[in-house]
Amino acid sequence: MSGAVETRTDSAAQASTESFVLLHVGEERYALTARIVAELAPPVRLHSFPHTSSLVSGVIVRRGHIVPVYDAGPVLAGKSFSAHRFYLIARRAFGKSLELSAIPVNGECELATGEVSPARMDRPPCVCGTLQIGDESVDVLDFEKLVTSQPIERRDAGAAKVQP
Amino acid sequence: MRIAVQESLLPRTARKPEQAIVFSVAGQDFAIAAESVQEIRSADSLASTAIELDCVTLPKVRHTVERGHHTYYVVNAGVHFSLPVSRPTLVLIMRQLRVAVLVDRIERMGEISGVYALPRAFAGDERQWYRGLAYLDDHVIPVVRPGGFLTAEEFHLLDRASRSSAAAQEVEGAIPS
Repeated sequence: MSGAVETRTDSAAQASTESFVLLHVGEERYALTARIVAELAPPVRLHSFPHTSSLVSGVIVRRGHIVPVYDAGPVLAGKSFSAHRFYLIARRAFGKSLELSAIPVNGECELATGEVSPARMDRPPCVCGTLQIGDESVDVLDFEKLVTSQPIERRDAGAAKVQP
Repeated sequence: MRIAVQESLLPRTARKPEQAIVFSVAGQDFAIAAESVQEIRSADSLASTAIELDCVTLPKVRHTVERGHHTYYVVNAGVHFSLPVSRPTLVLIMRQLRVAVLVDRIERMGEISGVYALPRAFAGDERQWYRGLAYLDDHVIPVVRPGGFLTAEEFHLLDRASRSSAAAQEVEGAIPS
């Protein structure tokens, strides 16, 4: 073994330097490209109703739009975080059109610019790179893969379940 | 990136207002277009005309009711939406569909400003269940698709179970006691 850390070469991680929004999910900090982030929305009411779509916890009303809310906690940390009351709103591509989508966050978001290196092989598929900020290495999230991932505890189970 | 003030009203751009019935099941509100409902009856008033149906593969339908020479399959909305067990007291009899729906209660009847498309993030059975979403009194509630309660395949299954059940009753009636 050479001793070097094995890395992936996702196309999303090829860009050298760009801006990222840093967000907390649980205790961990993650980065999301600022290109797709629309805004950080204050705590608003989450409306929920029966459905079978994995990770979707409901919808919020924002700027005249009904915005679906994805709970990233189960994918990244294996559980939801009730303390996350702000919403990071990003644009998700569906073919050629975009749909606003929200992720609950704790409100402590920052904007950072830095070098991105490919993700280590041991990171989850929704991590497309590593952002170096000073001494800290932050996982860069691939938003599309994040919202289509299976929760950690259900990655092996697979079955759809009605929620909430 | 900015943090902006909360807003509560959706614009009414190009959406057609419609009359709707808001009903609840296990504490969850749903809307349905008023024009798709022919009749609302108490479950008790239909109990005498209800016929038990044995279709184990479709537990959301356990009875049929006869109304105006038509047979309606009674769908338990709580089971259909996988909600906790509740006590349905009303039956919504659909117009132009052989479906009646057991619900807990009617919350209100009135106008909704329009039906908003279900976000594409919702990609499961709910795309069949709902026509979209409505914004009513600061609440977002799903607008039910009347044809989403039973699929064509489920109708086939129920028709077959219904015929078997009728045949079994005829045989029972033919055997002298």
